[in-house]
Order: sequence, then structure tokens, then C-alpha cells
Amino acid sequence: MGQAYSRRGRRLSSSLANRLTIGFAIAFALLTALAVIGVARFIQQRQDFEHDIARSYQVEMTAQVRLAQGQRPAASRATIASQRERRQTLRDEIDADTRDTALLVAAGLIAGLTGAVLLFSGLIASMRRPLEELVDAARALAEGDLDARVKVGGLSETATLGAAFNEMAAELQREAGRRDQLDRMKDEFVLTASHELRSPLTSVQGFAELLMLERERLGPKQAETVEIILDNTRHLVRLLNDLLDLARSNAGRLAIRPEPTEIGPLIEDAVRTMRAQTEVTDQSLQVVVANGLPRVDVEPDRIRQVLVNLLTNAHEYCPPGASIRAEARRKGDEVEITVTDDGPGIPPEQIEHIFDRFTRGDAGLTQRVGGTGLGLAIAKSLVELHGGTIGVESTLGEGATFRVRLPATSADGTKTSAMPTFSSRRRGE
Amino acid sequence: MARILVADDSETILLLMRTRLELAGHEVVTAADGQEVMDALHNGGKPDLLLLDAMMPRKSGIDALRELRAEGFETPVLIVSAHQDEEDAEAPSGVEVSGYVAKPIDFDRLFETIAELTGRS
Repeated sequence: MGQAYSRRGRRLSSSLANRLTIGFAIAFALLTALAVIGVARFIQQRQDFEHDIARSYQVEMTAQVRLAQGQRPAASRATIASQRERRQTLRDEIDADTRDTALLVAAGLIAGLTGAVLLFSGLIASMRRPLEELVDAARALAEGDLDARVKVGGLSETATLGAAFNEMAAELQREAGRRDQLDRMKDEFVLTASHELRSPLTSVQGFAELLMLERERLGPKQAETVEIILDNTRHLVRLLNDLLDLARSNAGRLAIRPEPTEIGPLIEDAVRTMRAQTEVTDQSLQVVVANGLPRVDVEPDRIRQVLVNLLTNAHEYCPPGASIRAEARRKGDEVEITVTDDGPGIPPEQIEHIFDRFTRGDAGLTQRVGGTGLGLAIAKSLVELHGGTIGVESTLGEGATFRVRLPATSADGTKTSAMPTFSSRRRGE
Repeated sequence: MARILVADDSETILLLMRTRLELAGHEVVTAADGQEVMDALHNGGKPDLLLLDAMMPRKSGIDALRELRAEGFETPVLIVSAHQDEEDAEAPSGVEVSGYVAKPIDFDRLFETIAELTGRS
């Protein structure tokens, strides 16, 4: 449809451009003719005038000579007077003629200028609207509206520009489509792969557990070996589960069922889950929940998972004895949950990739950190699935604060009437 | 002790299931696909519980279960699935199942479920 339009627009516009060109040519020819006629007339009048004046002086001189010689003094005097009078008349005439010519040229100039101004303002007006439309469409495109197209007619130049813009937008859209398809294929691949890996993993874990059932018949070295196999199998299972969560969330397979939920108990719950681990490393775990917090529309299990992931992250990256604090407070129409630690903090160059998959802190810590490198990516995906936002700020050496904001349930605290079970959307949509 | 029919297309998984279940004191009959499940039930004695892998060649666990239920077979059935939770499992529509078992199998939990379903441990 865009193509058909741009072709039509181009045809329309070239006829308009032709009309403008013809208009310019006629106006220019008229002006030139007017100027040539004016100047020619002026020169002719001037020549006639000078000729007449010279002639008049000649006649007067002749009369003066006769008067001096005493020939027909009365007639000579009369001639002299009449010639002076004639010259005065000629001067008055030339002045009038010059004024007329000047008026003529001025009128021509004014007419020409007015015509030019009218033509130009028409030209500018015919460019302004399409250009404004182009600017609007370009802004919309920049903001991610890949459906943005222009309907640009007008001059052939703006129409061509519009057609070029539309071609560019269409190409961007095709590119985004290809990228989405690749993303989908990647997510599908992860779903299938993690699915296919489960059966062999079941065997490995199952038989290793079987060996552990007969632990007393194994030598200490063998028992330790089996322990290592089991540990790594469990890590592999966690990795698969995390990958699966993330792929499902990104592929739009993860549906959340939000219900009005008190955030306080959810935080307490997540903290309780973490206690066993933080006690081993002697880290303090503190909860501060503001009074009278509005409820949030979330699926409790998913947001608990987000909180556990954030707390796990703090626990794993902080040294023994560190303090970790989970807080919840109201921020306008939102509830803000923060998880703050006084650990080593996040280097600036890592902070922008912190929510990417498999991004881990300092390599030296990686050996110690037992996570899968997916916890924060999952947290982000889940928070965004709930219509919330997640962010982080950190000063190196002073700790980090992860900030989650979730929209509060509507004022009366009841479930928003037709709260749909919203499923995840692809990023970038 | 319960009589359990286990169906999976992987011999390794069948060996694992048989070993763990027998160690726990159960009697185990195995089948490699849905058709073998049908044959075993038509020819052999009635088990107390079926552990069916959701995806098997020839005839899937779900298809076999659908036919069995149509024949009036009422034994409890657990569907073993490679999916993490039932949301993703190939949930059989309109066929009654007693539960799902996710791979990798948590045997302690499986034993508890078996005890609940069959009344025998």
C-alpha cells in the first residue's frame, strides 16, 4: 500500500514541480522584458532630450550672434527667449518621462518580487507539511515504532525523500523481524536442548545416588568422587532450570497469574529461605518493611523467586560477616523493594551488563560463587513480566543496591476488575 | 510393597527406575512404549500404579493412557516428563492423571507419592 501510494505521490508531485518551473520561467521572462523595455525607453528619451537641448542651444547661439551683430535685434531676442522657454519645457518633459519610466520599472520589480514571494512561499508551504510529517515519523521510528510510515506527496524531492524514508523503515522492520525470529529460534533451541538434556541427566544423577546408597561399600576416595558427580549434576540441573525459566519467559511461554499480594510477608518468606545459607557465612540479614504498604498485583511465587535471586546474589558476592538488608517502601503508585549490601560493589564497566545472561562479577570470585550466572537475568525478566522495573546502583568498595518497583494494586485494594493473565512479551516490543 | 508398571523408551532410565523401586521394596514391570503398556495390562496382572513417560515412540504414554481410561481402567497414573513443571508438561486434556514426576527424578519424593497413591510403602 505504501509502495502504491509513493508511486502516485511521485507522479502528482512531478506535475506540481513542472507547474512551478513554468511559473518561474514566465515570471522571469516577463520581468526581463519589462526591464529591457524600460531601460531602452529611458535611453531613447535621454538621447532625444539631449539632441533637442543641443539643437535649442545651437538656435539660441545663432540668435545671440545675430543680436551682437545688430541684425534684427527684436526677432533675435524673441528667439533667445523662446529657446530658453523650450529648454525649460524639454527639461520638465524629461523629468516627467524619467519619473514614468522609474515608476514602470518599480511597478515591474514589485510585481516580479510579489510573484517570486508568492511562488516561494507556495514552495515552502508545499515542503513544510511533508517535512513535518517526516520529522514526526523519524521520531516515532527512533522511539521504536517500526510501523511508522509517511504519506508524502508534494514536490518530487519531498516525495522521493518520503519514499526513501518508507523504504528504510520497511527494511528496519524486516531486520527486526529477522532478529525476533532468530531470538525465537534461540529460545526454542534452549527449550528443546534443556528438555533433551534432562533424560541423560536423570540417569547420571539417579545412578550416582544409587552408588551413594551403598556408600559404606565404597572407599573414601570413591565416595568423594561420587559426591563430586552429584554436586555437579545438581548444579547442571539448576542451570537447566534457570535457562528454561529464562527461555520460557523470553519466548512468551511464561504466563503469570497476578493477585493482590502483601509484599511484606513475601520478603520475610524469601529471607527465611536464605537464612540457612547466610548463617553459614555469618552474614546479617535484615528486613525493613514500611507500615501501610499498598498491595501489589503479582504472582507471589515469581516475585519470591526474584527476591531470592537478589538475596542469593548479595550473599554470594559479599564476604563473610557482611550485612544484607531488604527494604520495602511506597513510591507514589508503586512499591519499591531494595536489596542492599555492604560488599565489594560492582565495577562500573560491569554494571551495564549486570542483568545479561551469564554475566558474573570479578573472575576471581567466580570460582567461589556457586550461582548459574542467570539469577539476575531471570529477576529482570520476571519483574518486567509484572510491569515493574529493576535497576542497580553501586559504589565500588561500598556495596550495591538493587531496586525493584512494582505497580500497586488500585486504591481500594481490590483486584483490578478484568486483570488479565498477562503473558510475557518479547523484549523490544 | 506395590506392583508398579514403568514405561520409558530409555533402557537406562528403566534400569534406574527398576533398581531404585526394587530397592525400595516394590515389584516392577517395565515397558518400552505405550503399546507394550497396553499388552502388559491386557496379558498380565493388574499393577497398583503406572509410571508413564510422556513421550515415547510408537505410542506415547498419553495415548496409551487415553485408551486405557476409555476401557475403564482406573489405576492411578503418574506422568514422567522432562518438563520442569506441569505448566509445560504435555498435559493430557480430559484424561485423569494422579500427578507429574519431573526429570531428573527426586526419588524420595516419588516414594512418598507412591505411598500416598497406593497406600503401600
